[in-house]
Amino acid sequence: MSQTFIDPDAGKSTEQLFAERSKRIMDAFQMKQPDRIPIMLGLGYLLADMGGVTRQELYENPAKSLEIQKKIALDFQPDTLFGLFSYPGASIALGDQMTKWPGHGLGPNGSFQFAEQEFMKPEDYDAFLDDTADWAIRTYLPRAFSTLKGFSALPPFQMLAFGHYYLTNLPAFAAPPIVEGLKAISKGIQATLEVNAGVMETIKAMAEIGFPFPAILTGALVEAPFDFMSDTLRGMRGIMVDIHRRPEKLLAAQEKVLRFELEFAVNLSKATGSPYAFLPLHRGSDGFMSLPQFEKFYWPQLKSLMVQLVDNGITPWCFYEGVWDQRLEYLAELPKGKTGGLFQSSDIFKVGEVLGDTMFIMGGMPNSLLQGGTVEQVRERTKQVCEKLGKGGGFVMTTGVLELEGSDPKLIKAWVDATKEFGVY
Amino acid sequence: MSEKLIKAIAEMDDEQAITLTKELLSQGSDPMEILGDCRSAMEIVGKRFEEGEYFISELILAGETLTAISGLVKPLLKTSQAEKKGGKVIIGTVKGDIHDIAKDIVTFMLDVNGFEVKDLGVDVAPEIFVETIKTDQPEIVALSGFLTLAHTSMKETVDAIKTAGLREKVKIMIGGGTIDAQVCNFAKADGWGTDAMTAVSLAKQWTGAN
Ligand code: B12
Repeated sequence: MSQTFIDPDAGKSTEQLFAERSKRIMDAFQMKQPDRIPIMLGLGYLLADMGGVTRQELYENPAKSLEIQKKIALDFQPDTLFGLFSYPGASIALGDQMTKWPGHGLGPNGSFQFAEQEFMKPEDYDAFLDDTADWAIRTYLPRAFSTLKGFSALPPFQMLAFGHYYLTNLPAFAAPPIVEGLKAISKGIQATLEVNAGVMETIKAMAEIGFPFPAILTGALVEAPFDFMSDTLRGMRGIMVDIHRRPEKLLAAQEKVLRFELEFAVNLSKATGSPYAFLPLHRGSDGFMSLPQFEKFYWPQLKSLMVQLVDNGITPWCFYEGVWDQRLEYLAELPKGKTGGLFQSSDIFKVGEVLGDTMFIMGGMPNSLLQGGTVEQVRERTKQVCEKLGKGGGFVMTTGVLELEGSDPKLIKAWVDATKEFGVY
Repeated sequence: MSEKLIKAIAEMDDEQAITLTKELLSQGSDPMEILGDCRSAMEIVGKRFEEGEYFISELILAGETLTAISGLVKPLLKTSQAEKKGGKVIIGTVKGDIHDIAKDIVTFMLDVNGFEVKDLGVDVAPEIFVETIKTDQPEIVALSGFLTLAHTSMKETVDAIKTAGLREKVKIMIGGGTIDAQVCNFAKADGWGTDAMTAVSLAKQWTGAN
């Protein structure tokens, strides 16, 4: 059985805790050795599990979510934490056809779902390559958002854009379906601004009770160019066929994507001062494609994007979803000490061995163990992870997915405590 | 049997496979034999997938090739040939789940093994299964699913079939990523499998077809 554990943080003032925690996490992100291994919680739907509200209410009642988050933080005492990762407001306002949310396409307690579709058809590659933005406005938006169907009737955007003569074309925007679309966009903007304001308020409120927000979540979200083409454009089925049937077009499209993603992330970083960019990776893991395919269609483009972000003073970090065990050697090619990785189901000990000097590493606790394990198993796992991955710093203890849905609170507590106990340097 | 066709499908040369199919048909080859070649090719693809040589992209491309070939071949099947002797199966990915790559392979394998298969698609609600059992009177219901929540959907589907008084009329099999004997027990299905050949052998066993 676990012995009584005395929290080393007990009795410290809120300000002191905030300062110590902030330093501990930043040290780890900068691959320095902190005083002990920091632990970060991504709560997700645990907020609903523990707060006794539906998942739908979490999104609709930010004040309630914050109240639950505060209570959870004080109960578990992690070094850093955050609540929900994304919000449905803009998707609902625009009628986006690719996501389903609790209360919108799902029951009030459903889990957010991303249901890919082939919004871009194989024959759209030429238009995409020729003029991405015009194709996006007149072809993609009407397909992907129910409120923007009317945009298909707009003239080529160039015939509106270039000055005085073309202003006579503006009445194109007066058609009722387009007016509806513009209203929906305006609603989407409003919803997003509200979310942002709520997040800022949460960050402030959590800081007041001693918990810093994970700085790595403040930057741009960009994707591996392959995933960019796959997730919201071609869909998985489409992109997997493209690998075989139209490899050259797929590569050319990725080249375009890389350029605008980079420009976006660099400008955003300048505007906000956040030195981070987040890349959730989807189709590069073991299983989706072979290594030769990975070497041709996935890795060079991803690596190039990451290296150029680094050259611009940005620290990109990836969610390495699924298993990357066969691909870890590639990741070791990334600039040393300049990137980070959260590993879902890879062999985390191998990750530590191969990549410990390359990037800061996050992960270590399988979500399933916090759902169905025992206190002993959780402590044993935590001990092993601390011993093997902690060495020299640059490690943050997290679950494989930054979400604690369905976890047993007793096991979460045991895990946080065990990290403080075994994670001391 | 055309070794060339089998090879073209199995080696991901989809254009060649379609050209060959057209050639074979124009030379008067037996359409059933072409479908048989597709089955042999899919067994190779399945094996290479298990052995880690092929990945999802190859499964999908092979699936697309098969659909294209079926489209060419099926209209030419003589009614007597087209008449399925194996029995009727309805298949679908259960409610809340949209994984269909595996289901499509199972559908194809049942089809080329002589079963008449009706594919209800993905995210199929229990009511739809019940309705289709009433209208189509299949001997077998096959449920596919990959998400943990699919276990519950499978159970709900079996329950709905029972409530509708149809449970004795059909045999139910389940399959997909995490399906095992426990899930089969939990969902109260009659059988389970984690590959398409198991689906075929269960179906044969249950209908006495060979
Ligand atoms: C491909 C894939 C996808 C594709 C699906 C594309 C498609 N059109 O099917 C995409 C990217 C869209 C996808 C989406 C999601 N996925 Co997914 N996906 C996978 C993946 C990588 C492979 C599954 C697959 O198709 N394998 C190929 C098949 C052919 O192989 P196979 O299983 O051996 O095939 C045989 C058997 O299944 C069997 N079989 C199948 N049906 C039947 C039926 C019967 C009766 C019988 C007898 C046999 C049988 O026969 C097949 C042929 O031999 C798995 C991970 C993995 N490696 O398994 C995750 C996985 C299944 N997905 C997962 C998740 C969570 C999701 C998402 C929820 C992600 C998200 N956050 O949005 C969504 C689901 C949305 C939804 N509502 O369903 C999880 C499920 C976790 C869980 N236990 O709940 C997995 C395990 C990944 C993970 N580790 O997290 N996914």
